[in-house]
Amino acid sequence: MLDSIIKAYNEAVFETDKDAAFAVVNDALAQGVSAEDMVFKVVIPAVEVMMSRITQDPDANLAQHFMTAQIAAEVTEKMLPMFRSPPEIIGRAVIGTASGDLHSLGKRIVMGCLKSMMVDVIDLGVNVPAERFVDEAVRLDARVIAISAMMVHTATGEQGCRKVRQLLRERGLEDRIRLVVGGAPYRFDPELYKSVGADAWASDGISAGKVIVDLMKQVRPS
Amino acid sequence: MTPLEILTAAVTGQPAPRLPIFCNLLDQGARELGLSQKDYYARGEHVAEGQLRMRARYGYDQVWSLFYVGKEAELLGCNDILFADNGTPNVADFVIKDWDDIARLEVSDDITAHPAWDEIATCLNILRDEVGATHPLCAYVTAANTLPVLLMGMEKWLELLLGGPADLRDELLRKCSDLTRQQLAAYRAAGANVLVYSTPFGSTPFVGHKRFQTFSMPWMRRDLDGVDRAGLVYYCGMTDFNDVIAQVMGELGIMVHYLGPSADIAQAKSIIGDQGLTCGVIDDIKLIHWTPEETRAEVRRICAAGKAGGHFLFGTGVMPMDIPEANIQAMLDAAFEYGRYP
Repeated sequence: MLDSIIKAYNEAVFETDKDAAFAVVNDALAQGVSAEDMVFKVVIPAVEVMMSRITQDPDANLAQHFMTAQIAAEVTEKMLPMFRSPPEIIGRAVIGTASGDLHSLGKRIVMGCLKSMMVDVIDLGVNVPAERFVDEAVRLDARVIAISAMMVHTATGEQGCRKVRQLLRERGLEDRIRLVVGGAPYRFDPELYKSVGADAWASDGISAGKVIVDLMKQVRPS
Repeated sequence: MTPLEILTAAVTGQPAPRLPIFCNLLDQGARELGLSQKDYYARGEHVAEGQLRMRARYGYDQVWSLFYVGKEAELLGCNDILFADNGTPNVADFVIKDWDDIARLEVSDDITAHPAWDEIATCLNILRDEVGATHPLCAYVTAANTLPVLLMGMEKWLELLLGGPADLRDELLRKCSDLTRQQLAAYRAAGANVLVYSTPFGSTPFVGHKRFQTFSMPWMRRDLDGVDRAGLVYYCGMTDFNDVIAQVMGELGIMVHYLGPSADIAQAKSIIGDQGLTCGVIDDIKLIHWTPEETRAEVRRICAAGKAGGHFLFGTGVMPMDIPEANIQAMLDAAFEYGRYP
C-alpha cells in the first residue's frame, strides 16, 4: 500500500500540485498509515527524490523546488501533532538573507526542506546584520548559520558572510557553529563560497537541506 | 562602420569588421561620476552621463537607458528602493502586499505621463541625441510573466502562480502585460533601438516545459501582439533557455537571443543559425576572481564557439561592481581581438 502512496505523492509533488499531494496524505491517513510513516517514509524520501531529479532531470525547475519544499513543510507540520511521541530533532539552524539583501525565496525553500527533515530552523528574516546572525545562533544554540544572498554585492560584501566568519573567529565559535551560503552568485561561481569564508554552499534550496544536515553532524554539541 | 551598423550587419549576416561587443556597466556609472547610487539614479542626466563615459572609456558598442530593474515597479507605485553603493538597487517595498492589492493596482493609460518616467525620458533624450544614430541604445522591459516578482516578491508570485486563484492571477498578469506593452512602445518612440525583453519565467529552468506552454507562451503572445519585432531581444536573466529558442523564434518571431553564461553556444547557434543573432555571454561573476589571462581565455572560447558565419554577438551579464578594472579591460581587449573578422 505504501508503495502506491509514495508513487502518488511523488507524482503530485513533481506536478507542483499541492491539493493532490494533500489528497494523497489524507487518503493515506484514512487508510491507517501513521503520521510517522507519512513523514519518514513518504515526505522525506520525496524531498530526496527531488534532490536527485534536480541533478538528473533536465526539466526539473524552480517551481518544483518551491512546491516540493512548501508541500513537505506543510505536510510535516500537519503530521507532527499526530506523532505518538515527539520526533527527535537533528539540530537547530538559523537562517536569513545577507545584509542588504531582500530576496527571501531561497531561504523559504531551504526552511521547508529542513522542517521536513526534522531540523529546527529559525528564520531571522531578510537584510540580517552579521552580528545578529551570530548573536541569535549563540542564544538559540544553533549549530549552523545559513545565509542566502541573491546579489553579488550581498554575497561578497564586507557586511555579509565575511563578517559572520570574522565574528565567529573572534568569539571562538568556529568549532561550535558551521556557516553555509546559497544563492545565485554561488551557482555561477562554485568557488565563491570559499572566498567569503563559508564552510559549504548549496546549489539550490532543496540540496541545501542535505548540506545543512551534513554540517550539523560535524559539529560537537556545546 | 558604426557600432549600430556592425550590430545590424551581425543580425542580417552582412560583412563586418568584427562582432558586436556589449558590456553592461550600469552601477559603475555612479562611481565614475563620484556619486552615491541614490544620487546617481535620481537624475536621468547622471545615468546618461555615466553610460556615455563608461562606453567612451572602454569602447564597447552600446549604451543603456536602464536605471535599475525596480524602476518598472516605480511606474506602478513603488516608492522605496534600497540602494547600496557597492551593488544593484533592490525593491524595498512591494506594491502588492496581499492579494487584495491586485484589484487596486492601476496601470496608467499613458506611462510616459507618470512622474517615474520623467528621468527615464531625460536619459533617453540625451543618449539618443549623443549616440542614438551610431550606437545601439538599449532599453529593458520585463515580461508580464516576470513583472509580478517586482511588485510582490518572488515568494508571493510563486504562491499565486502555482496555487492561487486563477482569476486573480490573470487579472495581475493582464495589468502587467498592459505595462509591458506600453513600455515597449514608449521606449521605441523615445529612440531605443534595442529592446531587451526580460522573461526569466519564459525559460524552462523556472517553470518547466508544461507550464512554459500553458502559461509563459500565452502571456508572451499577449505582450507582443502587434509589437514590431525589430530590435527585440529574448533574455531570461542568466538562465539557460536553449530548449525553447526554436519555439520562441517560430511562434513569437523573436530572432535575437541573449543566452545565459552556462548555455551551449554552439547548440544555440545551430538552432538560430542565420535567421537571427546568437548572443554569447560570459560568466561575469567569475570575472571577479579570474586573472586577466583566464579572462582572455574565456573570451577566446566564446568567440571561437560562435563567431564563424557571423550572426553572433559577444556580451556580458550585469557586470558586478567587484570586477577589477584590469579584468574588464582584458575582457574587452580580447573581445575586440578574437572577435575580429579577417
